[in-house]
Amino acid sequence: MKTALLLPLALAATFASGAAPATDCCPACSQALGQGAYSRASLYQLDASFTDDGGRPVSLGSFRGRPVVLDMFFASCSNACPLTVTDMLAVQRSLPTSQRGRVVFVLVSFDDQKDTPEALARYRAQRRLDGNWVLLHGDGQSVRELAALLGVKYKRSQDGAYAHSNLLTVLNAAGEIVHQRIGLVGGLDQVAGALVAAAPQAR
Amino acid sequence: MSTAPAIAPLLFGLILAAGPVGLSAQTAGAGAREPVRMLRIPSGLYAPFTRDPKDAAQVRVSAFLMDELPVTNARFLDFVRANPKWRRSEVGSLFADSSYLADWDGDLVPGSKAPPDSPVVHVSWFAARAFARWEGKRLPTTDEWEYAASAGYSRVDGWNDQKLRADLYAWFARPSPPVLPSVDTAKANYFGVRGLQGFVWEWVEDFNTSLVTGESRADSSVDADLFCAGGAVGSRDTGDYAAYMRTALRSSLKANNTTSSLGFRCVRDTADTASDP
Repeated sequence: MKTALLLPLALAATFASGAAPATDCCPACSQALGQGAYSRASLYQLDASFTDDGGRPVSLGSFRGRPVVLDMFFASCSNACPLTVTDMLAVQRSLPTSQRGRVVFVLVSFDDQKDTPEALARYRAQRRLDGNWVLLHGDGQSVRELAALLGVKYKRSQDGAYAHSNLLTVLNAAGEIVHQRIGLVGGLDQVAGALVAAAPQAR
Repeated sequence: MSTAPAIAPLLFGLILAAGPVGLSAQTAGAGAREPVRMLRIPSGLYAPFTRDPKDAAQVRVSAFLMDELPVTNARFLDFVRANPKWRRSEVGSLFADSSYLADWDGDLVPGSKAPPDSPVVHVSWFAARAFARWEGKRLPTTDEWEYAASAGYSRVDGWNDQKLRADLYAWFARPSPPVLPSVDTAKANYFGVRGLQGFVWEWVEDFNTSLVTGESRADSSVDADLFCAGGAVGSRDTGDYAAYMRTALRSSLKANNTTSSLGFRCVRDTADTASDP
C-alpha cells in the first residue's frame, strides 16, 4: 500500500522538476546501435504488434536507433488531441536540420474500432504529416499495454469518445522513456531538447 | 500523478490505525495442485462508481466465470517455475518494480512470510496478466470485478448488506497483517466468490481507466489539462466509501507497481450466456 502511494509521489516529483531519469548513455547508445537484447527499461520489450496507416505491421522495436516522440490519441478527438499534434509539428519544425530526419513522430490510437489504417491515412492527409510520422492502429490489448507502460490513463465513454491523459513521451534510441510532457501547455523546448539529447551520436 | 498527495493522508491514516491482526494456520500445498474452482457470475446490471454524465447510469455485464479465490503464493510459484522470466531476479523494472514478490525468500521460495495458501501480493499488473494468460484466463475488467463484488453475503445487492459493510469498514481500519491469512478464511458472497471484499486489493485489466486526480473523496473535477474530456466524471454514491478507496487506489497505480496488499484473481469468458434474463 505504502509503495503504491509513495511511488507516484516520487514520480510526480521527478517529472515536476523536469529532470529526465538518469540514463547511462554509453550502454544505451551501444545497445541502440547494436543488435543486442533490449535494455530492461526499454519499451521495445513490449510484445505487441501494431498496423500503420499503410496497412503494414509495425513493432515498436523497429524505431530502435532513432529518437521517438510518441502521443496516444484518437482521430475523431476534437479536444486535446489536435492541439498535441500541432505541438508535435512545432517540435518537428524547431529541430535542427541535422536532426529533423532522424526523429520519429508516432501517434498511437486508443480507438481500435474507428481508427482503422484507412481512417489513419485520412488523418495523415488532413494534418499533412510527412514521412517521419508513423500512425498506428493496435488491438485493444496492445493499446492497453502500451498505455500502461507510458502511464497513460484512458476510458472509452459510451458515446465512443475517449477521455485520456495528455502525455507526450520522448524515447531515446534504445526505447527508454527519457522525458514526458504532462498536460497541454508549453514544454515544447524541453521535448525538442530531449529529442536532440536522445539522438545517438554520429560515428 | 497528482492523486497521491490527496489520498495518501487518507490511506495512511487507515494503515496506521491500530487493530488486531488475524493470523491463520498454514496448510501445505505440496504436489500437483487442483485447478482453482471457477464460478459462473450471471449477467446483470451494474452501476459504475464513476461515469460521464452522458453515460447511462447502469451497464449490463455479460456472464463470465470467475476464480472462487484470489491467486495464492502456491499457484504463483507454479507460474514462476514454468516461466523463468517472471522470477524475481529475472523480471525487468519496466514490468515489475523493485518490491516485486518482496515477501518471498527467494526466486522459488515463498518462505514463511508468504504461506502457500495465502494470496500472492507484491505482483504487478503485467505479472498478473502474464499469470492469467498462462492459465488460459484473463484479468477481470473493472465492471466485472465491481459487479461481482457488489453482491452481499446473502443478497445480490451488497450495499444493503449491513454485515458486509461492517466487515469492510473493520477491514479498512485494520493494518495489513505481516503475514496474510489463508484464502480458506475468505468469506463467500452471494455468487459464491470468496474474498473479493475485505481480503486483499485486486488488480483489474483496465485499472488505468481511473481518471481521478486531486481530491479523490470529493472527486469534484479532474484537471482539464491533464485529461482530455475527463472533467465531468461524477460518482454514483458519495457514501460508497469502499468504492472510493478502490477507485483512488487504481488511479494511483502504475502497471509495474507492486504493494503488500494488492493481489489478483482471474476470470474467463463463458459461452453460456443465453439463460440469463
